[in-house]
Amino acid sequence: MLLIASLLGGSSPTLFAQLRPPLPSASTLKKMSMEELMDIQVTSVSKRPERLSEVASAIQVITGDDVRRSGATSLPEALRLASNLEVAQVDARQWAITARGFNNVFADKMLVLMDGRTVYTPLYAGVYWDVQDTMLEDLDRIEVISGPGATQWGANAVNGVINITTRSAKETQGGLISAAAGTELRDAGAVRYGGQFSPNVFFRVYAKYADRDESVRTINQSANDAWHTLQTGFRLDWEGVPGDLLTFQGDAYKASIDQFGPDNTTANGGNVVGRWTRQLGDNSDIKVQVYYDRTHRRIPGSFTQTLDTYDFDLQHRRPLTAGNELVCGFGYRLVQDDIVNTPANAFLPARVGRESFNVFAQDDFNLWTDALHLTVGTKLEHNDYTGFEFDPSARLAWKVDKVQTLWGAISRAVRTPSRIDRDLYSPATPPYRVAGGTQVVSEKLVAYELGYRVQMQSGVAVSLATFLNDYDDLRSLEPLNPPRAFPVQTSSGLRGRSSGAELTVEWQPTSNWRLHAGWTELRVHSEPQPGNLDRGTRDSIARDPNHQLSLRSLLELSPHWECDADLRYIAPINMSSVPGYAELNLRLGWHPVKAWDFSIVGQNLLHSQHAEFNPPGARRELQRSVYGKAAWRF
Amino acid sequence: MRASGTCRGLGERFRCLRWLLVLLLVGQLEIGAADPTRPISDEYQIKAVFLFNFAQFVEWPTDAFASAQAPIVIGIFGLDPFEDYLDELVKGEHVGSRPLLVHRYKTREEIAGCHILFVSRSEEAEVRSLLDHLKRRPILTISDVDTFTREGGIIRFATENGKIRLKINVEVAKASGLAISSKILRPAALVTAGTK
Repeated sequence: MLLIASLLGGSSPTLFAQLRPPLPSASTLKKMSMEELMDIQVTSVSKRPERLSEVASAIQVITGDDVRRSGATSLPEALRLASNLEVAQVDARQWAITARGFNNVFADKMLVLMDGRTVYTPLYAGVYWDVQDTMLEDLDRIEVISGPGATQWGANAVNGVINITTRSAKETQGGLISAAAGTELRDAGAVRYGGQFSPNVFFRVYAKYADRDESVRTINQSANDAWHTLQTGFRLDWEGVPGDLLTFQGDAYKASIDQFGPDNTTANGGNVVGRWTRQLGDNSDIKVQVYYDRTHRRIPGSFTQTLDTYDFDLQHRRPLTAGNELVCGFGYRLVQDDIVNTPANAFLPARVGRESFNVFAQDDFNLWTDALHLTVGTKLEHNDYTGFEFDPSARLAWKVDKVQTLWGAISRAVRTPSRIDRDLYSPATPPYRVAGGTQVVSEKLVAYELGYRVQMQSGVAVSLATFLNDYDDLRSLEPLNPPRAFPVQTSSGLRGRSSGAELTVEWQPTSNWRLHAGWTELRVHSEPQPGNLDRGTRDSIARDPNHQLSLRSLLELSPHWECDADLRYIAPINMSSVPGYAELNLRLGWHPVKAWDFSIVGQNLLHSQHAEFNPPGARRELQRSVYGKAAWRF
Repeated sequence: MRASGTCRGLGERFRCLRWLLVLLLVGQLEIGAADPTRPISDEYQIKAVFLFNFAQFVEWPTDAFASAQAPIVIGIFGLDPFEDYLDELVKGEHVGSRPLLVHRYKTREEIAGCHILFVSRSEEAEVRSLLDHLKRRPILTISDVDTFTREGGIIRFATENGKIRLKINVEVAKASGLAISSKILRPAALVTAGTK
C-alpha cells in the first residue's frame, strides 16, 4: 500500500492552494490586518510544485477552520462538508460513507488515511467510523478525492480517497481546554497542550472524551446505542537541518457502545507512526514512514477481533528533466488478524497473517509550455489472495488560460479481497448456509473522468467533475443448490456501471462572507454477470441517492461574532426505501477575547427525527439536537 | 504508450508522444497557447500586499524624501516575482500626501531614492555584499532569502506550513533610522543579526 498521501506534508499545501477559491481581490487584501494576511494559506512555488495528477482529479479540501465553523463534533460529521461524498448516519455511531456510489455500512471502495495511516479494516475493507477520531481543533485539513486514486494512493482507492491530516506540533503550541454539553452530544471535553523541548523540537499531547446519546427506532423507542469514547495522543516534530523533518506521533483510544443484551460492544486500540522527510533540493525529496496500529473490538454474540498492522512506505520525488518530474515508491504491509468466532458465524481460518507489497512510478510532464500536462503512472501490487494487480492511470490537465483548467483521466483500480469476501462462514461449522469465497477475485474498476475548473475575477470558483465507472467482478452471493436460495457462497459474480456529476460553486461576496454550494448527481446500476445466479446482493450493495444538494454560508458578523448555516437535501434511496430529506445545521460563535470561544450549535433542526439509511425495520432515526461549547486557549 | 515505430529509448519516446499529443490538440490549443502564463502565485500576491502595508506602517527620516509630496519608492532588485501585480496594487494609493511608486533595479548602483527594497531570490549569492553596500541608508530591506536577517537585512518573509511569517531585525531598522509600527512588529518574530 502506498501512502504518498500520508507523506503529503510537502505537496498538499500546493494542491490545497490550487483548489481553494482564488485569493480575495487586491482591494480586499489591502484592507486586511497583518494578522489576517499571515493567516492566509499560500503556495510556495519555489519549493513545492503542484502535484498535477491531483489537479487533474475531483478533489475537495475541507480546512480545519471549515470544520470548526460547521459545528461538526466528529470526523464523519465533518465529512458532510465534502459534497462529493455520500455521508449517511446509520445510527448513533455507525456511518455509511463513500464517493461515487455503492454506499453501505460496509462501504468498501474508499481509502481513508489519518496522518498517513490507513484506517480501513482488512476485515471488510471498510472503516469503523466510531473509533476514528482526533482533536478536531488540531485538524489541518481533509482532502476528499472522488474517483480512483489507486496509482498514487494504493489499494482500495477505487471510488475515492479521504486524507485527514492534523497540524504540526509547531502549529498547535499552547494550551486548549474545551467543554461541550447538549442533547445528542451529551457531554464532551478535550485538553491539548503544545510546547517546545528545544528550539527545533516541538510536541503536543491531547486527551478527549465524549458521551453521545442513542438514536431512536421508527416506533419512537430507544435504539439503546448510546456510546462513550476516550482518546489520547501525542505528536513530536523535530526539525533537523533545514529541509529535514522527523515526526513521531501516536494515539490510544477506547470506546464502549451500548447494545441490547447483557454486554456492551467495546473497542480499543492505538498506533504509533514515525515519519522522516528530507528535502533534497527544489522539487526533490525523500519520505519514509513506518507505523504500527492495533485495533481490538469485541461484539458480544458476534465476534472478537484483534488486528495488528505493520506498515512501511518510501517515496522519492525528483525532476528528470525540465518540466518532467518522477515520483516513485515502495510499500510493504503485514497484517495479523485474530478472530474469536462464535457459533453463529466464523472467519476461517480464525487467525491469519497477510503480507502485501507494492512498487509504483508516476511521471508528470509538460507537453506544451506550461499549459498542458500529462501524468502517467502505474502501481504494481502483490497480495496473498490474488497475487499481482495493476493500477495504471493517465491524467491530462490543460490550463486553458489564467483561470480555467480542463482535465480528463482514464484509470484502473482494484479492490483486493478482504476477509469478509474469502473467510466468512455462517454458521461456524458445516453445513454452511453462507460459505467463504475461495475463488473471490479483486473487484476491478475502469474509470473515465472529465472535469473543468474556473476561478473567476468576481471571486466565484466553479468546479465540475463528471465520470463514468465500469465495474467488474463485484462481490455476489452465488446459490450453491439452485433454485434453493441457500446455501450460498461468496463469489465475484456482479458487474456494474455508474455515472454522475459533481458540481461545486464557491463565492466570497465580501471579505467576511463565504458561500458554498454543492450538487451531486449519481446513477448506479449493477447486474449479475452471465452465468451468475445471484439475485439479492445487488439490491443491498448500492444504496445511493440520485441527487444531493448542499448550501453553506459562513458569515462573520463582526470580529467577535460568526453565524454559519448549512442546509442539505438528500434524495430518496430507492433500494432501501429511505425517504428523501432536508436538514439544517446552524452555528452561532462568539469570540469576545482572544483566549475564549463560545458557540451554540443546532444540528438536524428541521425535523424532530429523521432517517438517513437502511430499510424499515433495521432503520434508526436521528433526533434534532443542540449543544453549547466553550473553549479556552492559554 | 508507444507513439510510433521510429521512436527509440525512453526519452525519445516521450518526445514522440509529446508531438503526437500536440498534433492531436493543436486545433484547440490555439486559444490556450496564446497565453500560457499563469497569474503570479498567491504567495507573491500576499507578499506584495505586505510591501504595500510596510509603506504605511514604517516611518522614514524626513531627509529620506526630497519633498513633502515626494513618493515612497518600492524597489525590486533582481528577477521580479510580482510582475505587474504590485504596480496595480499601489496604483493611485497614497500614504498621507505621498504617492507610491514601483522601481526595478538591475544593479546595486541604480538603487537610489528607494525606501522599500525587495531583494529577489535570484540575488541570493549577492545578499551580503548588497547589504554592506546599503548599510545605514534609510531603506527597509526585505527578502525571501533564508539568511537575509542574519546577514543584516531588516525583514525576511519566511513560509511556515504554507503561511507567511515575518522575521524582523529591529536593531538594523533602528540603525537605519526607520521606525516600524507595532502593527507590523506585533505579529512578527523579532530576531537579531546573529540568529535566523
